[in-house]
Amino acid sequence: MSIIEVKNLSKNYEYYRKEKGIKGSLKSFFYREKLLASAIKDISFSIGEGELVGFLGPNGAGKTTTLKILSGILYPSAGEATVLGFTPSRREATYQKQFSLVMGQKNQLISNLPAMESFIINKEIYGISDSEFKKTLDELVGLFNIGSFLDISVKKLSLGQRMKCELVAALLHKPKVFFLDEPTIGLDVVAQKNIRDFLKTYNEEKKTTIILTSHYMEDIRELCQRVIIINLGVIAYDGRLDDLIKQYVRHKLLTVTFSGKGILRRDIEKFGEIEDFSANSCTIKTSRSDAKSVAVALLSSSLPVDDITIGEESLDDVIRHIFGEGR
Amino acid sequence: MTNYEFHCKTKLILSYKYWRSKAYLKGREKSLDRYCQNANVFLRMKKYTTLIKAFWQRALHYRFTVFAYRVGEVAEVLILILMWTTIYAGQSSIKGFTLQEMITYILIGNVFNGIVRNWLSGMVASDINEGRLSMFLVKPMSYLSYVCTKEIGRITLPVLMSVLSQILVILCFSNTFIWNLDWGYVLVISAMIGLAFISELLLSYLVGLVAFWTDEVDGLYTTMERIKKFFSGGYFPLTLLPAVFVQISFFLPFAYSFFIPAQIYLKKMDLSVGVYGLGVQVVWIAILYGVIRIVWRRGLRRYEATGI
Repeated sequence: MSIIEVKNLSKNYEYYRKEKGIKGSLKSFFYREKLLASAIKDISFSIGEGELVGFLGPNGAGKTTTLKILSGILYPSAGEATVLGFTPSRREATYQKQFSLVMGQKNQLISNLPAMESFIINKEIYGISDSEFKKTLDELVGLFNIGSFLDISVKKLSLGQRMKCELVAALLHKPKVFFLDEPTIGLDVVAQKNIRDFLKTYNEEKKTTIILTSHYMEDIRELCQRVIIINLGVIAYDGRLDDLIKQYVRHKLLTVTFSGKGILRRDIEKFGEIEDFSANSCTIKTSRSDAKSVAVALLSSSLPVDDITIGEESLDDVIRHIFGEGR
Repeated sequence: MTNYEFHCKTKLILSYKYWRSKAYLKGREKSLDRYCQNANVFLRMKKYTTLIKAFWQRALHYRFTVFAYRVGEVAEVLILILMWTTIYAGQSSIKGFTLQEMITYILIGNVFNGIVRNWLSGMVASDINEGRLSMFLVKPMSYLSYVCTKEIGRITLPVLMSVLSQILVILCFSNTFIWNLDWGYVLVISAMIGLAFISELLLSYLVGLVAFWTDEVDGLYTTMERIKKFFSGGYFPLTLLPAVFVQISFFLPFAYSFFIPAQIYLKKMDLSVGVYGLGVQVVWIAILYGVIRIVWRRGLRRYEATGI
């Protein structure tokens, strides 16, 4: 059963062009050329219950715009979106009590006050009962291990700690649908990993439907089975992450190390395209199908091969390739 | 108490409770309903009290700034008194105002004005411009009630300190100050100040909403403040001007935060006129609320949730 339905959704923004310099400014004071930019163009997709879907795309691709429409912040210019059977832009309280939005660069916690105060405010706004609140809070605080800094002013927390508190604040009312916009932005690797682990567990346990946007491939790779790649306002790919790799990753990388004095570049040129070379180690790029035979050929050659590892072309490269296609 | 007595008493209490619960079930369904409704109202109210409490805590964080502002306020009042004392030199009254009345006007008017003020415009405008509004739009509570409740919590401490410091000044001038504590006057003036607080809050909110169309509202806000100060009689009592100014100000919402309550306090304006004024205020509140609803709906269509 699909929870989120998006049909032919478009969103245009108005903007103005200003000629350079003071003269241009004066001119635009009296007359401004109005232009329309489309953030998303005619996109459609549907997401089922309990899915954890990753939105991937470069800056300005339209990921955040889509999330904002789904949470009722923006009105769509055309097309329609329904979430849990509601039209988000109507902003009905019954809908608002069933979803949550976290943006990595916007906070809902009140600065200068401990996070706990914001939690209590949310409890009242969402009409959560005392017992329910305590139960959910204990559970979330336990999962994140943030008990020790709930009573410290939010301003004094590190970015990672703050993001954890933001997530807790957003989940107190047990949303059925959870939108996350760049939740790991600016965080160090450990904090990123913590948040990823948390989201994974949360999604598995609560069966909450989650849409996540991120620039970090690691987030998407670890969390999402399905990805929707948005580029220049249109959907460039929608499907399983594994299939994406199969479809776009056409090469394998063989990293070979050599013992003794090493080798010369021309000795291995015949095996494939050389990505990286030094006397004792080199990386050879081959097509997916050839990888095994090349490895066998290397081993059976007279070269002083010490070790061979076969790896995938990185997902980053693949994404870059897809983003590049649209331009 | 003997064991027996205890036994009897317990039995009595239990039977009473039993009787009560029976009565409840029999004929009290209605009152139970009412009870539930009240509980509901209470729960709904709780969201506001919680917010106010949170912002009280936050205000304490800024206690130095809150204090610093008061110094300037008191200084301004003293300067005004000094100025009028100089102007009055030799004259017993100017346009029907004795010096004693003028000083009372300044002192009491500033107390009223101190209660009515708010700083909502800037907050609303920056929420809109920096896209913070988004975080409220997704919540099941209207932004208007959220932000007004927050503002009430935010300004409670400054207002209390402001009123306290003004009362201290009044005490310093207690020989000159005219006391009027007739309950009829106190009642009408209190109602007027209460309504003025609401209309000022709505007006500031409305000015803040203009940020949907422009990037900043500072210019509009400052201009508004100046016009307001003039029509509220904050610079000088409007009776010094031709009568038409008083008449205009009576139908604008501004004078109800300074001039009119101060005039009533000085018994220079009839109580009946004051009651009539309350009606004007209610009409203004209705108009402002209506305009806010329209502007909000249109503004949201334009809102682009910029920032990030």
